[in-house]
Amino acid sequence: MKELRQILKKEFTHIFRDRITLFLVLAIPIMLVLLFGFTISMDISHAKISVLDLSKDSQSKALVDKITSSGYFEVVSYPNAESEIDGDFKEKNVKLAIIIPPNFEEQLTGEKFVTIQIISDVSDMNVASILNNYVKLILNDFTSDYNAAEGSVNAIELTSQMMYNPEANSVYMFVPGIITLIMIIVTALMSSITLSREVETGTMRMLLIAPVKKVYVVIGKVIPYMILSFISTLIIIIISVVVFHMPINGSVWLLLLLCIVFMLTSASFGMAISAMVKTQLDAMMITMMGLFLPTALLSGFLFPIDNMPFFFQILANIFPGKWFIIAIKDVMLKGSGFLDIWLYMVILFGMAVVLMAFSMTRLDRRR
Amino acid sequence: MKIFRSNTAVDTPYSIDVKGLTRRFGEFTAVDHISFSVKKGEIFGFLGANGAGKTTAIRMLCGLLQPTEGSALIAGYDLKTQSKFIKRNIGYMSQRFSLYDDLSVFENMQLFGTIYGIPSKELKERIYSSLRMLDLEDKAKTLVYSIPLGWKQKLAFATAMLHRPQIVFLDEPTSGVDPIVRREFWNLIYEAASQGVTIFVTTHYMDEAEYCGRISIMSSGQLKLVGTPAELKEQMQVDTIEDVFVKFVQR
Repeated sequence: MKELRQILKKEFTHIFRDRITLFLVLAIPIMLVLLFGFTISMDISHAKISVLDLSKDSQSKALVDKITSSGYFEVVSYPNAESEIDGDFKEKNVKLAIIIPPNFEEQLTGEKFVTIQIISDVSDMNVASILNNYVKLILNDFTSDYNAAEGSVNAIELTSQMMYNPEANSVYMFVPGIITLIMIIVTALMSSITLSREVETGTMRMLLIAPVKKVYVVIGKVIPYMILSFISTLIIIIISVVVFHMPINGSVWLLLLLCIVFMLTSASFGMAISAMVKTQLDAMMITMMGLFLPTALLSGFLFPIDNMPFFFQILANIFPGKWFIIAIKDVMLKGSGFLDIWLYMVILFGMAVVLMAFSMTRLDRRR
Repeated sequence: MKIFRSNTAVDTPYSIDVKGLTRRFGEFTAVDHISFSVKKGEIFGFLGANGAGKTTAIRMLCGLLQPTEGSALIAGYDLKTQSKFIKRNIGYMSQRFSLYDDLSVFENMQLFGTIYGIPSKELKERIYSSLRMLDLEDKAKTLVYSIPLGWKQKLAFATAMLHRPQIVFLDEPTSGVDPIVRREFWNLIYEAASQGVTIFVTTHYMDEAEYCGRISIMSSGQLKLVGTPAELKEQMQVDTIEDVFVKFVQR
């Protein structure tokens, strides 16, 4: 144990002496979260919209007036048919289209709900949901005005249709992705680099010749990076909750446990990669191209897995990011418990065990 | 059958006693049935062209690589079954400088001393006494990367000797250092040998080979030439070890 402590101490010394890496490891997650969070502007005025008024009666005109005078919207197009709306999105860059049904005035006093349809460009989910809320506010306002003037009225029902991004990515959806990528950078990338650095400089041979257990050498080198990445993860979670009001609907402990399991998986990927290469540069390239990039692209963080070609859907399964993102979204957003996500944890843990066993057997084949 | 693993060393006058040691990588035989023995306190030069199999042989002798065939007793311990005890009794220093650049001199020595199981108080004393011997006492807190290569090599040697090994393996310890430091380095080697430490050294400097008690020359995985420098020169009918080497390897 004394040997392990000594190796841990040495590794921490390496980390603290390498101020730039330490700074990057701790600052990048903060920058990423803030970047994703704040680049999505929270307050919008004069958003371009198009309005398809199929009634053209006095009430529908009153509604359109209310929308234009709200200050939130600028109507740039009055199409004559639903088929023209698509062109407005593509050419006039509108963010939202409102469709007022025929016979609006009659329907307002009729038996059934009045349905107003909104079509939103959800390629930026935050903008879309904010605009949707504005429309809701205006409609509520309109209804209460109408009630005051004309007596009882049917509630106006709003149906929304989303375009371009049916998965509805928002800052909430990015947080699990950022955690995944940070953990891969800090644990997998840093572990693979630090282990292959020792091989490259020849110090690994010194350690393996010494009467110290191989296991101590490897875990002594990897644990400090796991601690660092755990700190980064905590920072990300705290910022998302405090600054962006992200919910943690499930158990916080389960969330932390899940993060620890994924950290083990990432670290074991790092170990396995370093066991296959001889230089730091190779370790870095393979981790970036072989793990980081596929995780970013195939984990469902940027692109929904269901929309991928079949081959990539299968391929996505071998990268740990997919399982972690599903599980962490379930815990944070759906409030799932251990019984709902244990299978994902087992998959992640299984990957870690297999890869660690692999790297241990490979370690002494190297010089 | 239960394999009996003894923790006692065989009593032998030899520090290294190798018989038919062989290592194959697939079809390729890197080390081909080499046999030799080195007496306690002897300085044994292990020469050979690049790619002759020296490094593979050293890796086996240090317990980093399992031999395919053959046997060896290192410090009286069996290479196949007692590698744990061998590790405690050997020191190793490589051609490539192998201390940590971003740790101080003291931290490096403390790291390796501790993982060799030296108690911390004793270790501190040994570190300072070896730094005093090298005249590097004031560099204890200096980061290794800022000190010159020659000093680093001497430090690496001192580090390899901290746990007082019976045998020390030096893999091209002086490559790239200036003649003065090389002379000083060899003084350290002589001093260690005079205290009974067996020195197993590889080098490409033929003048250094002349300093060795006995030398061996490896070629294509085989070890055919072993003897004192004088014997080898006589056997090959040449004047210098360099000529012995060239004549033997080209043959």
